Amino acid sequence: MIEELETLQRRLDGTPHLLRLGRLFSETVLIGFDGDEYYLTFEKGRLVEIAPGPSRKTPYRFGILTDRAALEEFWMPLPRPGFHDLFGLVKLGRAQVVGDILVLVKNLRFFKEFMALNRRERMEVA
Amino acid sequence: MTIEPITGRYLTVEVEGSPRRIYFEEAGQGRPVLCLHTAGADTRQWRHLMNDAEITKRNRLIAFDMPWHGKSLPPEGFETQEYLLTTEAYIETVLAVIDGLGLERPVLAGCSMGGRIALQLAALHGDRFSGFIAIEASDFQPAWYDIDWFHRPDAHGGEMGAALVSANISPHAPEAERWNTLWMFMASGPGVFRGDLSFYTRDDTLIGRLNRIDTGQTPVHIIVGAYDLTCTPDDARRTAAAIPGATLAVMDELGHFPMSEHPQGFRPFFIEGLAKMPEWAGLGREVA
Repeated sequence: MIEELETLQRRLDGTPHLLRLGRLFSETVLIGFDGDEYYLTFEKGRLVEIAPGPSRKTPYRFGILTDRAALEEFWMPLPRPGFHDLFGLVKLGRAQVVGDILVLVKNLRFFKEFMALNRRERMEVA
Repeated sequence: MTIEPITGRYLTVEVEGSPRRIYFEEAGQGRPVLCLHTAGADTRQWRHLMNDAEITKRNRLIAFDMPWHGKSLPPEGFETQEYLLTTEAYIETVLAVIDGLGLERPVLAGCSMGGRIALQLAALHGDRFSGFIAIEASDFQPAWYDIDWFHRPDAHGGEMGAALVSANISPHAPEAERWNTLWMFMASGPGVFRGDLSFYTRDDTLIGRLNRIDTGQTPVHIIVGAYDLTCTPDDARRTAAAIPGATLAVMDELGHFPMSEHPQGFRPFFIEGLAKMPEWAGLGREVA
């Protein structure tokens, strides 16, 4: 999964409108799936560090806990209903938002488009 | 250059004891079809159908911006009011527009909260309409979010609302129409989406009224998109099952804003819905 997260990082660097939308976003976000954890540190919209967990001493603002199969569905070019959106995964019971959900909601467009960047990657590769 | 056939005017009606200046658009001739927009949006959601010559050849499509929405002003003194839409005010507004425009038993087509109030009107004032096309409509769903997120001084409620409702747009929707749909949410007035959601997510009175709907007098056709996370196909099926005689269509590739997010995909479902409505007897009066 580190490869997918690095792809998100690379694509974010190449997506000027997301860097602009995220210019006030400087937070650490936990991404967890199937028991693995990664701490993503953003500074002014750029993803500057991907730190593998698990860690009990790394503070994070909010987190998305899901499973790899759900993320694979989420990153399909035309995902099935529910798998097409982060909150859809939550509604399906395949993801959970932990921590300060309001910070996520205040930056929702930025973060949802960031997480979906692998969809674009896979469409271009295909 | 293109000039569209849609025309827009204003009417002033009284709602809750004070005047409301309401913007409405129309296109076409024949059977009147009154179209209600979703929460947090306005008549622009209907523009594709209103520009569809095949549909407007025999149907007079009319859409209006609810007070506080689009080009309709909020009531005088709004600056000190908390906007919270109620079933009663919504019903009063729709009936006032029908009276103001002199519409005789129009078909009522409403989406999301517009579909919810369409079913309320089917239960309480069915005799004022000839039929109901209830889109992304159901009896009731509580919020899976906090409606207070969308009205706060430290963030832009419209941008947050747009980001939230993007969850309800199908990935099959053309990109341009996805963003045109979201723009309306981004541009909505402060607290308006929250006030609409108060009606949509807190008022469950429709549940006990569904069995009052007489589809023998006024048909009810419910249309729902598979990518709608707010009013899911299961919600729509449950609602249709509680209305004897109601019909249901599920759109596999559409979401919560079908007429706006994917007009071409929605078109055949809307035409099918119109075909289920009674023939128009030609009794309608024109706007003065």
